[in-house]
Amino acid sequence: MIADYSWRYTTLGLLMTTVASFIIVQMVRIQTSPQAEVFRNQGAVYAGSWKTIQPTRGLIYDRWGNLLAGNTTVYEVGVELTHVRNPSTIALALNAVVGSDYNQVFAAASQQPSKTSVYAVLANFITEEQKVRLERFAEEMEAAYFGTNDENRPSLAGLRFFPHLQRSYPEKDLASNVLGFVSREGKGYFGIEEKFNDLLIGAPQVIWVSNDPSQVEEIPEAPIGASLVLTIDREIQTEIESILDAALLRTGSEAGTIVVMDPRNGEILAMSTTPRLDLNEYWRYGDIFPGETPFNRAVSKAYEPGSVFKVITMAAALDNGVVTPNTTYVDTGTIEIGGIYIRNWNWGAWGTQDMLGCMQHSLNVCLAWVAKELGTNSFYRYLQDFGFGRVTGVELAGEAAGRLKRPGDSDWYEADLATNSFGQGLSATTVQMLMATSAIANDGKMVTPRILKSVIDKGRQYNTSPQIAGYPISAEPAHTLTEMLAISLETESSEALVEGYRVAGKTGTAEIPTPSGYSSTLTHASFVGWGPVDDPQFIIYVWLEKPEISPWGSVVAAPVFREVVERLVVQIDLPPDHVRMDMQNR
Amino acid sequence: MERVNRFTQAYSQAPWRKQLQVIGLFSLGLIMVALVAGIYLSVTARAATTGRSIQEMRRNIESLKLSNADLEMLLASITSSAEMEKRAIELGFKRIAPGSILYLEVPGYIHRQPTVSAKPPGPTVSASSGLSMDYTQSLFDWLRERVLDPAAPLLEKGK
Repeated sequence: MIADYSWRYTTLGLLMTTVASFIIVQMVRIQTSPQAEVFRNQGAVYAGSWKTIQPTRGLIYDRWGNLLAGNTTVYEVGVELTHVRNPSTIALALNAVVGSDYNQVFAAASQQPSKTSVYAVLANFITEEQKVRLERFAEEMEAAYFGTNDENRPSLAGLRFFPHLQRSYPEKDLASNVLGFVSREGKGYFGIEEKFNDLLIGAPQVIWVSNDPSQVEEIPEAPIGASLVLTIDREIQTEIESILDAALLRTGSEAGTIVVMDPRNGEILAMSTTPRLDLNEYWRYGDIFPGETPFNRAVSKAYEPGSVFKVITMAAALDNGVVTPNTTYVDTGTIEIGGIYIRNWNWGAWGTQDMLGCMQHSLNVCLAWVAKELGTNSFYRYLQDFGFGRVTGVELAGEAAGRLKRPGDSDWYEADLATNSFGQGLSATTVQMLMATSAIANDGKMVTPRILKSVIDKGRQYNTSPQIAGYPISAEPAHTLTEMLAISLETESSEALVEGYRVAGKTGTAEIPTPSGYSSTLTHASFVGWGPVDDPQFIIYVWLEKPEISPWGSVVAAPVFREVVERLVVQIDLPPDHVRMDMQNR
Repeated sequence: MERVNRFTQAYSQAPWRKQLQVIGLFSLGLIMVALVAGIYLSVTARAATTGRSIQEMRRNIESLKLSNADLEMLLASITSSAEMEKRAIELGFKRIAPGSILYLEVPGYIHRQPTVSAKPPGPTVSASSGLSMDYTQSLFDWLRERVLDPAAPLLEKGK
């Protein structure tokens, strides 16, 4: 009986084995067929995606931790093409809220979805406020036309917002010439943003993100780009920008620059130049800086500094020993060097003058004689030691090296020795002048101007150190010259004098070279000064271009120096000299 | 021979008992497979749920980062130099003149120091994975580890 039915079991077994074998063979065939690769690729499309993790751009702070450059959320707005109901409404809304071009948005939103095109970008960098307005429009439309079956009813369906960060500057145009700006592509331009772009931007990482939750892997943390702490003091910066703006208005100057530095360590406490730009509206750069207008005059524009340069000539001569403060010179009103006749600013003869008198009356003839006494080689060696003709190394983009012709250069003539001695025929930037003068204010020790105080990277703060740029002169002549310049200001009852604080300084009035020679009406008015004389804690450079009310540095630039010192001493808690000395003597 | 057959018959198991054994063994194997499959499914489901949670947390982290950046900017804006000056003027404060300042000597007073936002440089610690192995290894990985290195859990606890 059993044998009668056993064939059924055998047949069923064979059938099942055949089906199973067929399935296995088919599986192997599919896995190894040429089409398998196509299937695998199709699968890979949905398996996940490569994602670039862009680190947040590092922040920029002033020396006290006030944020100068941060990041804020903006949105990319686009449409999911399969969900778009009415491209016209979308185009109208974006035109009204964001200002996008109607036709472009309409064309983008009207695309037919396909395998390769499911999403279209309509606008980018829209603000939170604009996003909220669009969302409100969308909600109101949905509510108003709810239940309507009309296919052409107004609708913002399909609109999507994707947040990302954009550079933002809470202080707007404050210190804008120092900071520079970041374009929408994330690239830094000018100032700190350009100089430290690589450091601020961090290291982007490209990773594979699986859509399969069971294959989720840890995404490496992309640390924020390095943050920077500047030497700038926000309050001092605010003060000097305000003083500079007022000075430009008062004097009718075309442009101006004020830089405040600590001569002991080269830290730039404030740097203000014109014009300034609200960095949140950097696209106005072309309007505000037309043509070749430098973004930061203090570092990018070299000019003939004029009589402020006499400080350098006199420092070199005192250090060399060719003159002392008591050395006399009989000024006949003219001196011939290299075939040209040098004359004083007032074309007058000042008779017998000691070196203090030469500096006090800013006598070109006397300083040309001093340079001649010093000797050509020695004079230019000093100028090189003071750093002229090369960049200072301040951490700002676009620093100019200035121009210093030297004996042996094809365009150097003996007459240059004379003109260079009083700051004509050569060019220097404000930071170069500050660096050179810092040697006189700092016992002969010249410091490199610096604006980067520390770098915060991966949870660590790395402080920068003061850099000694050289010792162009020794301490004794530095003290002597400081004293000479302080007496000079006091004797002249200079507008630069500050009540309660003894300061040293020198005015400068430089004619402006033009293609047809020096202009007789346009000048650069400058003042470099430092104090307190017994223990210099600040050095200030003021430069006003083409002032209208007076061409003289003593009239237009010296009062600005005084104003800056008056505000600065409050900000840096520097008591008047007598108070400070009383405290020291206790 | 008959004696042998009787002896064999006496000690051999009944056919129904043999069938029961076969069925029992088969059932045991089936239960084992079902058990392993069940555990595997359970672990996979938990891994998937955790994976989704991680994805959600990542989105939250991104959102919080943006939110933090916005709040930092908001704080900077409302404490910006221009805003602070405006508020000070509204509150009746006036700009002080250098001559009207009274300086007092305060023993032990430490002058304002530049900002310190992070630790100074020091020995670097190599970054370790923040995601526990519990969330990344499969059941087979876990079994392999236990078979090949049975003392591993003890060593981990000892750390």
